[in-house]
Amino acid sequence: MVVFVGKEAPDFKAEAYHQGSIRNIKLKDYRGRWVVIIFYPADFTCV
Amino acid sequence: MAAVAAKYPAFQELSAEVLAVSVDSIATHREWQEKELSRMIPGGVRFPMLSDPGGVIGKRYGVYDGNAKTDQRGRFIVDPNGMVQSMEITCDALGRNITEVLRQLRALRHKRETGDLMPCGWEPGRPTLPVEDEASRISGEVWKTWKPRNAF
Repeated sequence: MVVFVGKEAPDFKAEAYHQGSIRNIKLKDYRGRWVVIIFYPADFTCV
Repeated sequence: MAAVAAKYPAFQELSAEVLAVSVDSIATHREWQEKELSRMIPGGVRFPMLSDPGGVIGKRYGVYDGNAKTDQRGRFIVDPNGMVQSMEITCDALGRNITEVLRQLRALRHKRETGDLMPCGWEPGRPTLPVEDEASRISGEVWKTWKPRNAF
């Protein structure tokens, strides 16, 4: 699957650490809002 | 990530959520937050940090590096309809520009509200290109209204 600008963002589900607790996140739950998805190589890195 | 966290209030003002994604476990995200991020930024990272074991999400977005077994530094802006409006991927050694991400978000919101086209380097307060000017743009007349200095 390839992401294209102007096409639907691939949906995903994941566990997330959020302010001290663990949450299940689904991209589709954010319909109606802007979302910035930020991938990064690893925790404890700072480039 | 600390730089994104420092600017999180600006993302919230634009009613945008940030989702950070790496292959690290929830336990490692927690450790990073408690041991380092919370010392760099008041409250540390206040948006969700997703765990992507095996790079399942990264593969869907074309950012998974199979050799390093990590997600590359990719950034995607998704609009309220779930459509990708902007994306960027950099090598591991190159950091991103959070100010530019916010600029794009402001421009995309303005475009959604007005229908205008957002020219090179647009910032709030600068001229846009109204869609009704499309004909003049194609016919080589845009130089009369839009100057390269508007981009900087």
